[in-house]
Amino acid sequence: MRRLMTSCVAALAALLLLAGAHSAAAQEPEGAARQDSMKGVAPKNLAPVSTEVLRVKMPRPVERKLKNGLRVLVLENHRIPSVSFDLVLPASPLNDPKGLPGVANATATMLTEGTATRNSRQIAEALSSLGASLSISPVAGTGVTNVRASTLVENLDQLLALVADVLLTPAFPQDELERWKARTLASLEQQRSQPAFLGNERLFRVLYPADVRSITEPTPESLKKLARQDLVEFYKAHYRPGGAVLGVTGDVTPEAIVAKLEKHLSAWQGTSGPQPKLPLDPPIAEKKIYLINRPDSVQSYLVLANRAIDRLSPDYPACMVMNRVLGQGPAARLFRNIREDKGFTYGVGSSFLALKYLNHFTASSSVRTEVTGPALDEFLNEFRSIRDKPVPKDELENAKRALVANFALSLENQNTVLGQILALREHGLPDDYWDTYPEKIMAVTAADVERVARKYVPFDNLQVVVVGDGAKIRDLLRKYGPVEEYDTEGRRANPVR
Amino acid sequence: MKKAASVAVLALLLLCLLAAAPPNIAPVKFTDTRLPNGLRVIIAEDHYAPVFSIAVTYNVGARDERPGRTGFAHLFEHMMFKGSERVGPGEHFFLIYNNGGNMNGSTNPDRTNYYETLPKNQLDLGLFLESDRMRSLAITKENLDNQRNAVQEERRLGVDNVAYGQTAEKMLELAYENFAYKHSTIGSMADLNAATVEDVKAFFKTYYAPNNAVLTLAGDLNTADTLARVKKYFGDIPRQAPPPPVDMTEPQQTAEKRARLEDKLARLTRMDIAYKIPPGNTADSRALSMLGGILGGGGGFGGRFAPDQRQRRGGGGPGGVGNSSRLYQKLVREKEAVVSIFAGVGETRGPGLFRITAVVRPGKTPEEVEALIYEEVEKVRNEAVTDEELQRARSGVRRRQVQTREGSLGLAMQLGIDAVYFDDPGRINTETEKRLAVTAADMRRVAQKYLAPANRIVIYTLPAGGGAAKKAAE
Repeated sequence: MRRLMTSCVAALAALLLLAGAHSAAAQEPEGAARQDSMKGVAPKNLAPVSTEVLRVKMPRPVERKLKNGLRVLVLENHRIPSVSFDLVLPASPLNDPKGLPGVANATATMLTEGTATRNSRQIAEALSSLGASLSISPVAGTGVTNVRASTLVENLDQLLALVADVLLTPAFPQDELERWKARTLASLEQQRSQPAFLGNERLFRVLYPADVRSITEPTPESLKKLARQDLVEFYKAHYRPGGAVLGVTGDVTPEAIVAKLEKHLSAWQGTSGPQPKLPLDPPIAEKKIYLINRPDSVQSYLVLANRAIDRLSPDYPACMVMNRVLGQGPAARLFRNIREDKGFTYGVGSSFLALKYLNHFTASSSVRTEVTGPALDEFLNEFRSIRDKPVPKDELENAKRALVANFALSLENQNTVLGQILALREHGLPDDYWDTYPEKIMAVTAADVERVARKYVPFDNLQVVVVGDGAKIRDLLRKYGPVEEYDTEGRRANPVR
Repeated sequence: MKKAASVAVLALLLLCLLAAAPPNIAPVKFTDTRLPNGLRVIIAEDHYAPVFSIAVTYNVGARDERPGRTGFAHLFEHMMFKGSERVGPGEHFFLIYNNGGNMNGSTNPDRTNYYETLPKNQLDLGLFLESDRMRSLAITKENLDNQRNAVQEERRLGVDNVAYGQTAEKMLELAYENFAYKHSTIGSMADLNAATVEDVKAFFKTYYAPNNAVLTLAGDLNTADTLARVKKYFGDIPRQAPPPPVDMTEPQQTAEKRARLEDKLARLTRMDIAYKIPPGNTADSRALSMLGGILGGGGGFGGRFAPDQRQRRGGGGPGGVGNSSRLYQKLVREKEAVVSIFAGVGETRGPGLFRITAVVRPGKTPEEVEALIYEEVEKVRNEAVTDEELQRARSGVRRRQVQTREGSLGLAMQLGIDAVYFDDPGRINTETEKRLAVTAADMRRVAQKYLAPANRIVIYTLPAGGGAAKKAAE
């Protein structure tokens, strides 16, 4: 068993001194601001805390290229007798033909609904007989489709044969396509009962109004129009080895797995079409509230958002630190204030969706209808505070230490490690990115945090999506900006005055 | 004759073992120690990643609650994060997260657990935090009111503001006569409002004693050193009188029970069927769990979803695509009668439920769906499952055994749960073989015995006012 390399290098004190020197200018006497930022927690500081930050090194994969052009990254790991694959294909709903949302999803699903030699049921039975899993998921934000498969290593050959069958010789049977359409239509109906689905649908229309990113799901109309030929063409254009990356981790050696892949995938040829070019626009300038009226709701689902940064932004490390202070996890301000201090909610947080094609910041929570207004006020208080007041030194250092030290936890799961490595490839980041990431985080200053908060945490230009009982919250929302109302079908509604 | 038969049996047994041998992985090694104050300490050393997890599993859950105080065990769980003698309110999660860790707590009918994963150099921090709250929880009216709010929001989020939220509670109410499992873990709003500081104090003294808990540590640790530290932090917490035993007896159900609910938030009809079955870790529940996989894709050892809380997504299967189960193939694909369907068993300490849940497609009726489900249930009662189905079920068991080894948190939690539920932390090393030994005849026998009409509970949850059909017609 290979033990992961670890080192308890940089003593926290040294790192703090370093970072402290950078941020000293931005510090203010710890008075009112500090009290403000410690809502919901009253530390006694008696616990024994190790002052070292455990620094870990991410394992590096072995890279190979198959004869058909497929790049293969192998992360050898003999801890348990299993093997996992993650094939990253440059195809996603962003490649859907205009007016036909659902083609990427249908293509992905239909791959396992029939091949030249197996029908849907036989594929399902073969997978469970191998104790294997296989999922094919198109993801708009990253612009890729992930084909993920895993099994016990003793079944590796059979799984590869099955996956090759699915990938290389799909049949796209017409009857299965019709079944998929009917099933999807029914589950769309069911999803419309969920606040998060309704909120997300509106959010993407607001943040990415001009292009394919505004559509989060197939529509009843597109499901009607969508034909088998659309899937065949999508498959031919986008499911190709050239331009794709295959990550492998588990109880295999690079030599052995490459030989097996050559054997099973040699007939797979060609290069995928280019990924789309979509603009990453700056934040929306005008404040606006979008109410989705869901009668009989007992909670309001609140999302406060605007466009912010993509994954390659130089502000990325500073935004991660800022968000750790503001809204990531229970130690952050939003949770301590809105849940622990006020008791308005069960959960609250904020995050940056900083991907290749999505670049927005959101803060969200579900709160009881009666405190919809007070909860919005507290979000605004926290946004104002992080934008206008320097982050106290100890809070900043806590956030940075949390981000760096948490890295060790990801090493427990090989698939997580593989995902982090593949993410570098998807975004074109250097191979040593994760090795230098802790230094980038530790170098973030209070001034950096304030700067990125002002730039990316929305305030005068807030976009707010609220899913809740319109009759109870419609009037109070007007206090926060102009309100545009929709029903649960996604149709513009004329509010009852 | 007798000898020949036994040789044949032996040969058959060998064949079976070859066909379904457990994966070639070493058993989980752990130490199992009891401190003088009764705290059971289990340590599983594994130096794979520079990380360890702690799980403290208390032998108390919603089943220990009394009428008028439903939801109390879970409300109490929230109080455990509001400070103790040497830890301020909220400081627990503040310290864990700020030092790179993750943590949480969870409550189900059968137990309450608290857990954290930390970088390996923070062992003292984790032990200090868990021991201080076991010794000296800060119980105040202010903390109670504050967390009462958070818990009531949790109820709204999971029950009152979602489609089918009331269905799970109705199922428990109908299925059980004994109060222990008759109510939900989240509890009623009225009972949550009624909880007092005195309740919290008494509950803490009775149930949060070292002799009523199991402390499990797994990961990058040195066993001897860890045990020494555990003694230092936990050794002086006083033992308490053992909690009162829970009466889990449940009368035999003699006739089918039915209910129809109207749900203002639902858009499609859902139907829930449950059959009453024996407790977990018994030969019968094991066979029913394997059968659940064959029938509806669910079940399986280590299935930790509580009978009242988690909704499994139907049609899932373990791997996203490829659901080969009978109900999925028949009702989702062939008949196109449901959006999703699931059948399976959650492992419980007391009498369990074999559940089937299906969301009915627009244009189909719950009566049609119910009849189709019974056709499939009758098949498994009257005919043996096929060899191929048995083999697939066994592959799933073997796969899951390997999966439980990844991650120190899952391991710590499983060891703690098996110790508290069944007094058998070593079950992680023995359960796989027991499951692999389940035969088609076993499954047919338990199907005959438990999946009988008089032993079932059926609930239809209908969209109030016609739901989707009405909306579409507007």
